[in-house]
Amino acid sequence: MSAAVAAGTRPRRISLADLTRTGAAVWIVLLAAVLALTVADAGGFWAPANIANVLTATVVLGLAALGQHLVVLSGGIDLSIGSAATLSALLTALLINGYPIRTAPVVIGMLLLGGLIGVLHGLLVARVGLPPFIVTLATLYLIQGAAFTISTTPTGRVTSALSAVALERIGPVPYSFAVLVLAVAVVAFVLARTAFGRQLYAVGGDPAAARANGVPVARVLVTAYVLAGVLAALAGVLLAARATVGSPTAGLGLELSTITVVVLGGTSLLGGRGSLVGTLGGVLLLSLVSSSVTLLQLPATLTDLIRGVVILAAAAIFVTRARR
Amino acid sequence: MTSSTAAVLQARGLTKSFPGVRALDRADLTCRSGRVHALVGENGAGKSTLVRILTGNQLPDEGEVLLDGRSVRFADPREAMAEGVSAVYQELTVLPAMSVGDNVMLGQERTSRGLIDRAAQDREVRAALARVGLGDLDPRTRAEDLSLANQQMVEIARALVRRSRVIVLDEPSAVLSGDKLESLFTVVRGLAADGVAIVYISHLLEEVTDLADDVTVLRDGRVVSTGPAGDYDVPRIIRDMVGRDVDAVFPPLPEPADEVVLAVRGLVPVSSTRSPVALDLDVRAGEIVGVAGMVGSGRSRLLRTIAGEHPRAAGTVEVAGRPVPTGTRRAIAAGVALVPEERKTEGLVLPLSVRANTTLAALGQVLRGGFLSTRRERVVFQEEQARLGIKASDPEQGTWQLSGGNQQKIVLAKWLRRGPRVLLLDEPTRGVDVGAKSEIYRLVTGLAVEGMAVVMVSSDLPEVLGLSHRVLVCRGGGVVGELAGDDINEENVMHVALDTAGTSR
Ligand SMILES: Nc1ncnc2c1ncn2[C@@H]1O[C@H](COP(=O)(O)OP(=O)(O)OP(=O)(O)O)[C@@H](O)[C@H]1O
Ligand SMILES: [Mg+2]
Repeated sequence: MSAAVAAGTRPRRISLADLTRTGAAVWIVLLAAVLALTVADAGGFWAPANIANVLTATVVLGLAALGQHLVVLSGGIDLSIGSAATLSALLTALLINGYPIRTAPVVIGMLLLGGLIGVLHGLLVARVGLPPFIVTLATLYLIQGAAFTISTTPTGRVTSALSAVALERIGPVPYSFAVLVLAVAVVAFVLARTAFGRQLYAVGGDPAAARANGVPVARVLVTAYVLAGVLAALAGVLLAARATVGSPTAGLGLELSTITVVVLGGTSLLGGRGSLVGTLGGVLLLSLVSSSVTLLQLPATLTDLIRGVVILAAAAIFVTRARR
Repeated sequence: MTSSTAAVLQARGLTKSFPGVRALDRADLTCRSGRVHALVGENGAGKSTLVRILTGNQLPDEGEVLLDGRSVRFADPREAMAEGVSAVYQELTVLPAMSVGDNVMLGQERTSRGLIDRAAQDREVRAALARVGLGDLDPRTRAEDLSLANQQMVEIARALVRRSRVIVLDEPSAVLSGDKLESLFTVVRGLAADGVAIVYISHLLEEVTDLADDVTVLRDGRVVSTGPAGDYDVPRIIRDMVGRDVDAVFPPLPEPADEVVLAVRGLVPVSSTRSPVALDLDVRAGEIVGVAGMVGSGRSRLLRTIAGEHPRAAGTVEVAGRPVPTGTRRAIAAGVALVPEERKTEGLVLPLSVRANTTLAALGQVLRGGFLSTRRERVVFQEEQARLGIKASDPEQGTWQLSGGNQQKIVLAKWLRRGPRVLLLDEPTRGVDVGAKSEIYRLVTGLAVEGMAVVMVSSDLPEVLGLSHRVLVCRGGGVVGELAGDDINEENVMHVALDTAGTSR
């Protein structure tokens, strides 16, 4: 019996719900997974090359997941993130095609393209009033179709400088990890310190209430989708950098992975509730799962099965349950 | 006479129709700075519709809104706010997942160079909270951890940081009582003294006559009368509202039978704070037990515990000798019906039609060969509509379209369809107009006559006093006193509720 519980003072108990809400839950699972892997194969797991593998896997997933996080907070969902990343990867390699001088303009162009896709999503959702699921399902196919029209096989070539960003590392840390860290910092800052950040939670939580209180709902929604588009395009650039060529299937399935990590992190798919800390934990956990299959020399076919089990287990324990 | 101050906001000939109803019919309203203008009328009279037009939530079909004599057309609440017109709406718009501070500043974030100026916001939030009597509330508290009453005070704090010239308050007092109500009045009077024009909507007519400088009465979307508050007393307002005299007296209480229908023994709700006193309660057939106490004294939780919706730490509940297990469904099957306090989230499925909501708890009655019969559902709805006087244009009307008070009647109808033995009512007349209130009183006594055992929580003290055989008084999460017969009066209840005898809390 602790002293705090006695004497009428209200004991401050930390509940499972608190852990989920703050995003701490997924980090506990992550910690357990790291411990398990350390026990299973300490040398292999902690080898700089393996750590670098895990971190490299987090970059593309993490960038795309940041965008998904924003859209899910707004009460929506972005199913087109994978194909947007694909198109960006394909065009990056195709347009640069080995000419160093083109790198900067092409990358900037890709980010603009991503932003443009976001504007389209935002307007269709906020102004026309179509459900985000439908809008982005349509653009998933449209953008993927555009990518296949451009090329059905891997094509183009990025410059060695760009691929170095993805492939070179300092100790266990790949250069590209800095890009993710920077993006996380920017998104965290935007969420915490701008009016848009505050209003995003309100729009996702109850759009009618947000509107009634003078929140520019349409502007907030468009901004969220634009950021998601730009981040997906950036993820695409790094996909191209990692592969050195542009593939029309580079970002396949990325949209589902981003939804997975956002949900694992305790963010409500209904919008308005969620923590960035949780989503980042989800990114690390999923990356860890994928790379560990290789590390432990399990058959690659097991990856999906393990993913499914992890999602189900984590959801069963941690995903925010409907309040009472 | 100060009534000569210039009109800030004027509504002229506002008309608004919805399928099947004309919610507003050439309505006029004039708001002057520094004055409190009370807007009264029955449920569905069109008060909230007028509010929504003035604040840019809806556009009128006809008529115009004048601001300082110039015609304006607000297509979005944001535009109205930019011109200094804002509202506290009838339905809560507090975001549960956000902090109190973020809720207060929502839409009004103070920024410098694009970034939120946290120091400035914090100062403003604390000042606004202090003004509504929540000075010691930490602005970082999440809104969902607040009581309904405190959430309402947060709504009012929002109105303060907007520095509006016109503030519309749509039933701000419905969830308040005691010192919260006093804070609200102080805030309203303070705002008026600062020159703000206030529109004040309420069904508590004593409150209206206390607070208002001007009064406008709406009936069926039309302005019946308007004038300085001095010309109005409560009976006149009621006459104008309803179109006839309503006797506000309570119907005579039936003599309870001997049979004990509800037997509660040693009941203790699971509670995060220290354990409250265990409850022992017998309610006989035909008996009405009122539960009084301040908001936050644990009355609703007690009801929910009896109804099996809130877990029990100890104790048993029996209906007609049969134990009532925990779990809402099983309690319902045992003959207990709870009409909850928060209708928007607990009582109704707002997107469904009024027909579907009415039959939801008793679908067995509307089956035909194992399938739902829409025709039977309509009949059931029409029976209840007639019995409770529900104002809806059509059985297929969406429940979200009904006025607040009529939604409350649907909740009541839904549970009555099950023909429960024990009826638990939590604030049954909140947001309900005078006419409908006396209908509900007659209905509840009628149900008691038929042998139902009724337990009713209400913050409307006259209602508890006038409608109960016995009154339980709650404080600190449990029942601390019981009054019966001649001991039932306002003074005694307040003594126990506030613990004025001076024993420790
Ligand atoms: N969106 C809508 N669609 C259809 N009918 C509506 C809609 N909004 C309001 N109404 C109808 O308009 C009428 C006026 O409703 P309003 O909400 O203005 O009443 P009120 O005076 O505020 O009542 P209460 O005191 O119950 O809040 C009601 O009959 C209501 O059913
Ligand atoms: Mg209303």
